[in-house]
Amino acid sequence: MNPNDTPIGNPLLVLREEFDDWAVLFDPDTGNGFGLNPVSVFVFNHLDGKHTLKDIYVELCENFDEVPQNAEKDIHDFVDVLLKKGYVGFEQDW
Amino acid sequence: MPDLKVMRTPRSVDIDITNNCNLRCRYCSHFSGPGDVKQDLQKEEWLSFFKELGSINIMDVVLAGGEPFIRADLKELIQGIVKNRMRFSILSNGTLITDDMAKFIYDTGRCNSVQVSIDGAGPETHDVFRGKGCFEKAVKGISFLKKHNVSVAVRVTVNKSNVGELDKIAKLLLEDLELSGFSTNAASFLGLCRENEAQVHLSVEDRTFAMEKLLQLNRKYDDSISASAGPLAEAKMWLDMEQARMENKDSLPGGGFLTACGCVNVRIGVRADGVIVPCPMLSHIELGRIVKDSLMDIWQNHPKMIEMRMRAQIPLSDFDFCAGCDYISYCTGNCTGIAYTRTGKEHQPSPDECLRRFLEEGGKLPVGS
Repeated sequence: MNPNDTPIGNPLLVLREEFDDWAVLFDPDTGNGFGLNPVSVFVFNHLDGKHTLKDIYVELCENFDEVPQNAEKDIHDFVDVLLKKGYVGFEQDW
Repeated sequence: MPDLKVMRTPRSVDIDITNNCNLRCRYCSHFSGPGDVKQDLQKEEWLSFFKELGSINIMDVVLAGGEPFIRADLKELIQGIVKNRMRFSILSNGTLITDDMAKFIYDTGRCNSVQVSIDGAGPETHDVFRGKGCFEKAVKGISFLKKHNVSVAVRVTVNKSNVGELDKIAKLLLEDLELSGFSTNAASFLGLCRENEAQVHLSVEDRTFAMEKLLQLNRKYDDSISASAGPLAEAKMWLDMEQARMENKDSLPGGGFLTACGCVNVRIGVRADGVIVPCPMLSHIELGRIVKDSLMDIWQNHPKMIEMRMRAQIPLSDFDFCAGCDYISYCTGNCTGIAYTRTGKEHQPSPDECLRRFLEEGGKLPVGS
């Protein structure tokens, strides 16, 4: 994953915000759910095909207190996990 | 004190998609109860409602009734659920399931399960309270579902006529029909069961026998039998309570308050006439109407929903019924719906699932478990 990549969340998924900004990312095709903490919810909500991972990191720092130094890497790792699950992808030019 | 945090929206919605049924099973929890509303909604209203459910990120819809497969437009309704990014389950008597419908359900890719009621190892038992020919049709319905790889969740309602053949029923379902498991409950004091209680309701002796038998069968079949109510659920819950009492534990999770069953924290119900209710077993509590009223607003703000959740803060020590009970710190008060039909009040413990009363009436807990 490159800092300038602009991944996009799978539009078939359901992001169910439940308690205190925690959420479940629900795949209705499989019935699988993936728990997200508030930071992960923030990241997922910015996976719109326009924000780069770098942009997301910058906005995260603007919106959360005490963002750890390794947060940018954590964002990459998180998006990698989502990519492997098919929960995010990239817009294709045809 | 129990935590009263509430999710933004329910995870699941229990919908009586029709009030009609081709059968009148003598222990049906629906007919003659407050959910028996004598009318159905048009497809268009349900489709609008499904759109709303999708927009507020509901995960699952449970279609019940009545008999869902009696609706000629069921496929269109299911398509409405699928289109709005939800999954679904169907609760059925199984007699109207066709090969074509089973294939359609599989092809949606969104079905959690179709629950089919099987109450006997053969027609002589199953049909007693359901009607002639129902066993054969229900088994055929299951075969169609299996043929198309739809998950089948058989429910056995333990009653006076089948309690003696639970081992034969388990053999039918787990060996002959090769299902991976089934669930059980009991004919409860709801709907038509209230009128036919003497014929269908389990006696204390029946319950003692059923608890022991179902635990034995679970040992034989590697825990393939499940239950959230009825003798198997009671056996597990009551054995935990008895153990806690013997070990002099302070409490069990949720114990000492009216915390059961907690469904108002994760799901909500809708009657066949579109009236939103806290739970299908509490269909007398009208919270609003689909499409006209916002489900999310009702879920978050309706005073009755808040009241139903606050029920979990009512200590069992407030009730004369529970006075002096050794199990009070381990008991959750049990099903609100049955508490209401028995006592006429929602905020009461359910006497039918009371361990102390069961023992006082001569019931015995399973041994060797």
